[in-house]
Amino acid sequence: MRRFRYTAAALAIAGVVASGAAPAGAETPKAGGHLNVMLREDLSQGFSIHETSTISTVWPAMPCLNNLVIFDPLKRVESVDTIVGELAEKWSWQDNYRNLVFFLRKDVKWHDGKPFTSQDVKFTFDMVRGAPDAQGKLRLSPRKDWYANVEAIEAPDAYTVVFRLKRPQPGLLAMLASGYSPVYAAHVNPAAYRTGCIGTGPFKVKEWRKGEFVDYVKNPDYFVKGRPYLDSLRYVVIKERGTRMAALQAGQLDVSFPGEVTKTFATQMKKAVPQLVQTPVATSVNENMIMNMKKPPFDNQKVRLAISYAIDRKGLIEAVHQGGAVPGASMAPKPYGVWGLLEKDLTALPGYGKAADMKTRARKLLAEAGFNAQNPLKVEMATRAIPLYVDMASFVINELKQVGVEASLKQVETAQWHAMATRGEYQIGANLTGIGVDEPDANYYENYACGSPRNYSFYCSEQVMKMVDQQSQELDPKKRLQIIAGIQKKLEEDAARPILDWTLDYFTVWPHVKNLVPHNNIYNYGRMQEVWSSK
Amino acid sequence: MKTYIAQRLGIAILTLFGMSVVIFLLLRLAPGNIVDILFSAAGYVDPQARQEIMRELGLDQPLWLQYVEWIRQMFSGDLGKSYRYDLPAWEIIRPLVPVTVELATLSLIVSVVLGVPLGVISAVRQDTGLDYALRVFSLAGLSMPSFWLGMVIILSLVAWFGWIPPVTYVPPTENFRLHVVQFALPSLAVGYRSSALIMRITRSSLLEVMREDYIRTARAKGQSGRIVIWQHALKNAILPVVTVIGIEFAFLIGGLVVTETVFNLPGLARFLVEAILWRDYPIVQNIVMLIAIVVILSNLVVDLLYGVLDPRVRYGN
Repeated sequence: MRRFRYTAAALAIAGVVASGAAPAGAETPKAGGHLNVMLREDLSQGFSIHETSTISTVWPAMPCLNNLVIFDPLKRVESVDTIVGELAEKWSWQDNYRNLVFFLRKDVKWHDGKPFTSQDVKFTFDMVRGAPDAQGKLRLSPRKDWYANVEAIEAPDAYTVVFRLKRPQPGLLAMLASGYSPVYAAHVNPAAYRTGCIGTGPFKVKEWRKGEFVDYVKNPDYFVKGRPYLDSLRYVVIKERGTRMAALQAGQLDVSFPGEVTKTFATQMKKAVPQLVQTPVATSVNENMIMNMKKPPFDNQKVRLAISYAIDRKGLIEAVHQGGAVPGASMAPKPYGVWGLLEKDLTALPGYGKAADMKTRARKLLAEAGFNAQNPLKVEMATRAIPLYVDMASFVINELKQVGVEASLKQVETAQWHAMATRGEYQIGANLTGIGVDEPDANYYENYACGSPRNYSFYCSEQVMKMVDQQSQELDPKKRLQIIAGIQKKLEEDAARPILDWTLDYFTVWPHVKNLVPHNNIYNYGRMQEVWSSK
Repeated sequence: MKTYIAQRLGIAILTLFGMSVVIFLLLRLAPGNIVDILFSAAGYVDPQARQEIMRELGLDQPLWLQYVEWIRQMFSGDLGKSYRYDLPAWEIIRPLVPVTVELATLSLIVSVVLGVPLGVISAVRQDTGLDYALRVFSLAGLSMPSFWLGMVIILSLVAWFGWIPPVTYVPPTENFRLHVVQFALPSLAVGYRSSALIMRITRSSLLEVMREDYIRTARAKGQSGRIVIWQHALKNAILPVVTVIGIEFAFLIGGLVVTETVFNLPGLARFLVEAILWRDYPIVQNIVMLIAIVVILSNLVVDLLYGVLDPRVRYGN
């Protein structure tokens, strides 16, 4: 293994340790206490965050684990500038952003008492990226593509790790800061994370009663002195939405579930219990239309564009979300995200202008594609058989009807949904896409790259892929932003996967819950290290 | 009697065998399996990874082999491993059983305590204002789904009192008072619906019996109305009611899905639905078999009770 020598002078240290972050607000944090946290379903793969893509796993599993780096828990908007160290004390980009070097903390222990070292980091990320010589194996690795540019991970000594890249990729750090990027213990079988959790995190799993709750107790050996503040946490599984909300309202729960409280619920609860603290934040989930470009009629760009023009985004936001969503293109819109288009740029895109004008354009495009009143376009609209999807699909069907498209609704069971979309066994679909981190690499390689299994529309543009690669290695943030704006426009103009809106969450807590700052991304603020209770 | 019980047990075993085949096949006829769902949850599909998981879970085996393996496991007292939780199925099912049994039993008690006396009163006071009121009460019970009633109860409590029963299961050994509070409302919600059915059956059966000659004879002999009704009429009218109670109990064991969900009680039915959605075959198969056993046993108990309650009914010869 190559040996690395880095002098302090050569380092461009980018990080600070999370423990140094000052808690927000004027109140002095108080140690002790317990919180009951909402969970809408049981952990689907236990604590094995690396094997799932659902907030239902990330949210309750985060207190057990740590990342190398993480988005500052006390800052709502996430960006490279808000990344702070967790297991890494500091980090440095080397060799013109081709090597990312992490210097690890030396005082970290796993919950079973074993010391944390660079081998754990290498073990984890070799496993996640499916390296041929990986020591561990995941049952499935949904974010393997995030690390496609990693050539090798080296551990020159017990407390240094180097991510060696094929080409510069400044966005890698943001992906490592996501809640989806915890470090597993090398001495624990990865399969064991499906049933329990040996982490380094601020809380230790006390009990997981399947389908009921997950109990955590404070980790007394946590490496950040004085943290966590809370003695214990309980994540309570409540399947029925009405009961969940009633439990929060009745004070049996102290904290809501990320992405759970819609504007309607928020208004009702606030009216009933005015002291509840509600914070509107983005969920990092967008609603979009997937159209199968492998088959007619959606292999015709005019037809796809007509669909995009036909759907009134603002109307959808008002009717389906009662204003609890915002328009945006393929990256989360400002101020919720860093890379989104400005409103003036958005209104120039298909479907974002005045509804009547947009519908006229849609009819014209359909006519050009050979569809009219005598020969209407008839399609089957697939969607997941859950209200969130069906409400959106029903609205879209009505919009399409107004431009002469006859669409029937086909509700697909969750078990079939992704498999069906990946295999292209659909015509058009109403879909939701969650973006794990506000980082273009994470979004574009996963959802728009030629051949990616989650590129459900089978969109493949050489020009766009060139731009995606270009932005991925662009070191100048301003230039990168420009390229990304170009990608967003191009994707909407090609109607690759028309984005309808980005949903908002009205994250709700009781007033005694302090320092739990919801982020504009549901996946990245569940650590609970800084949270305290004034009760 | 012994021969009868032996015969019934033989039939029960055959029924269970048939059930096992039906359950096994129906589950596999439903589109998709756990691997599809895992990929769905992960939002990613890799055919090679899919194949590996299929192999890991034994789903790549021929159906008949999977069936034989399940039966073998059952006979060896091992119910297999949950696909979803990667834990022994019985370890997951075991804590659910007492919750459902308790809820079903309490609901049944509520329904009998409410249904039988009201049915008797309704029959005795036939076509009076009280009878009409009780019939409306029972009709309302039959018309209102218990889950709807449950939801209304929860929402009303939170709106008026800012309080709801505990949303995490409280074992009786931990806090008996809270445990009682937790089960009281769902039992009342479910029991009310069942009581309506029992009340109507009691009423109609009792009315029929009260027209019999021996009732008239008893009255003619100067027996008091109370003795005639409670000792002579009700004893003979109770058989159909017992049948309904047996059927209700069997239904309640597997049919409390929504009530358990609304009141967030960790019972069998709620978990069964979850397991079906996850295509967690070992959990689904074993819970359904458990329910089938309860149904068969409750039918057997009802049949045996006939013999106890009605001396004219004798088995064996």
